[in-house]
Amino acid sequence: MFQAQPRSPRPGLSQELAKDRLGVPSVLFFVLAGVAPLTVAAGVIPTAYQITGLTGIPAAFVAIAVILGLFAVGYVAMTRHITNSGAFYAFISRGIGRIVGVGAALVALLSYSFLQVGLYGAFGPNAASEAAAHLGLHAAWWVWALGAWAVITVLGLLRVDITGWVLGVLLTAEIAVILAETVSGLLHPHGGQLSFGTLSPADLTSAGVGTFGVLAVVAVLGFVGFEQAPVLAEEAKRARRTIPTATYVALGVIAVVYAGAAWAMAAHAGQSHVVAAAGQEGPGLLFGLGGGFLSNAAQLLFLTSLFAAALAFHNVVWRYIYALGREHVLPAVLGRTGGNNIPKAASLVQSATGLAVIVAFAAGGWPPMTDLFFWLGTTGGFGILLLLALTSIAVVAFFTRDGQGESLWSRRIAPALAAVLLTLIVVLAVQNYATLLGVPAGNAASWILPASYGLVFVAGVAWGALLRSRRPQLFAAIGLGAYAATGQLAPAVVETAQ
Amino acid sequence: MTRLTGTGRIADDLYLIAHHEVNGRPFLQPRAIGLGLAGALLAELTLPGLIRVWPEAIVVTGRSARPADGLTRGIVARLIAEPQRHPARDWLAFLARTATSDVAGRLVRSGYLTQGWSRRPWRGERWVPVDADCAFAPFYRAGGALDPAKQPTVSGTALAGLAQACGLGSRLAQFGPAGALRHLDETVRQLNPDLRELIAQTQAAVDSAVLSHRV
Repeated sequence: MFQAQPRSPRPGLSQELAKDRLGVPSVLFFVLAGVAPLTVAAGVIPTAYQITGLTGIPAAFVAIAVILGLFAVGYVAMTRHITNSGAFYAFISRGIGRIVGVGAALVALLSYSFLQVGLYGAFGPNAASEAAAHLGLHAAWWVWALGAWAVITVLGLLRVDITGWVLGVLLTAEIAVILAETVSGLLHPHGGQLSFGTLSPADLTSAGVGTFGVLAVVAVLGFVGFEQAPVLAEEAKRARRTIPTATYVALGVIAVVYAGAAWAMAAHAGQSHVVAAAGQEGPGLLFGLGGGFLSNAAQLLFLTSLFAAALAFHNVVWRYIYALGREHVLPAVLGRTGGNNIPKAASLVQSATGLAVIVAFAAGGWPPMTDLFFWLGTTGGFGILLLLALTSIAVVAFFTRDGQGESLWSRRIAPALAAVLLTLIVVLAVQNYATLLGVPAGNAASWILPASYGLVFVAGVAWGALLRSRRPQLFAAIGLGAYAATGQLAPAVVETAQ
Repeated sequence: MTRLTGTGRIADDLYLIAHHEVNGRPFLQPRAIGLGLAGALLAELTLPGLIRVWPEAIVVTGRSARPADGLTRGIVARLIAEPQRHPARDWLAFLARTATSDVAGRLVRSGYLTQGWSRRPWRGERWVPVDADCAFAPFYRAGGALDPAKQPTVSGTALAGLAQACGLGSRLAQFGPAGALRHLDETVRQLNPDLRELIAQTQAAVDSAVLSHRV
């Protein structure tokens, strides 16, 4: 799969540089921290059972892991030839063209923004109920959501990242708790008999083939974050190996953890009762699988996981805004840094979006967990699905012009298969968006939310076309990210260690 | 004007711009300062034509001429000793690891910095300017590149360009007229290709570090 590299002794400079660079565990931690497993296991999965009324979620995680595995083959192959921290739109710019790339950049921005603000909708009510139960503090969900928003805004402006080891400890604890809850749930199945029904492929199309589109969006939402490894390509010890390995391991870990947890919830509550139980218990569907101590630990970690995920996505969003500002696709002021190299303007834009959305949901009295967290979260997941499909097409197009020494499997077969499957899922998801949101067919939200991507995509394409005719020099630098300043293509990653 | 007006070396000047004139605290993240100073050290060698800078390599051209100071002499020796060519960004990353302490050491030897101690013991030692006024001298040298009414010098423009590249644009702007940074962009465009490349590579390395969250 990997192209053979001539091995040459590279003493001195290269070896000394490699000492400071990241290995697979560091990249994996970075990726999984953004994935925030407990946010999905306790937040997304129970809410998805409740709202969609579908039980094939465990099987969907396995199926989507396979499809994303296919996608990743071409994705990491292209990472070896293009390095840009704003991965998706850079790939699409280079593969399909810069005009489509600008459209994709705005789609990516909207997707990650939906994902980020959606997390406040889960943090608010869960922090409120925890504080009421344990601290005797009673406040509305939006008070807690605004509290988290304020802390994230300040951390964004001070550029204080939660340090690697704190995230590492939290992440390890999250995965340990999910696995413990899973084992406990599977050991105490409903009716004393363990059912494998929800893992069966038949459950993927239980209510017709459209079911799979809905389940796939939920599963993709769970996997969001796995695509972030190439961000660290320039920091990786052996980028040609480190990034692919971290991506595949992340996919495998996520698939096992989520499919297991979703299966355990259905097995514990009973396949025919899990939808109703999810409606009554919410995140408690996961917490209830284990004993008292485990449950308390899980509830606390759920909050830290939501917060860490909100911070991680805040970082992803400003990174996109900043990169696009540097390329002058967005106003140049967004691509500037203040003191301490902090991209204040880019960070503040996302904070302003978060504030507006929290205030709107609070003022409108809309339910935060279902409408803010799940609706916007799944719509963010749907946006990522669109980008995955477009990126697969871009990978095929990129390597069609020049194979770059990649194998037929990684440059043509796997990405083409992924493109067909992902496009099919997009079509199914659009047709069944009402089921995804748990609303009657024809409900305004079921077309407004997916259509928002069409709108920003068209706006981006129009803007890209305008840039091409009016400012060709800026247009030429689209997709170069940090390398927009040099006007040269971002360098292909090189193996720096021996 | 005080007795000390700076060494006039680009990296020394950039160090002084990047740190507080009284307490010596940095205005940037450590890695960004390191990359900026690495670019500045290479600029000191580019100015007299000792090296050429391309994206894919940095090559020593004036082997007979030797830089006067030990720090840049060491860099030339390292460039010559390296058995194979490395892209400019690798050299920047490599030099950035030690550039801050190297340049601070050179400023100490020249009498511009002295050792101070942080009030918080775990922060360890810090270098503070001997004379707060002399720490402003670099702004005068960079000023020509910021103000259309002044005549820019090549080294002043390289200094201002590198300062902006590593994230000191807003600090420079305080010392120039309105539109100073726009004027700087235009002045930098008139530099020779090697210095332009060096500034662009430094900018890309800093941006890349900001974007990958590893500043």
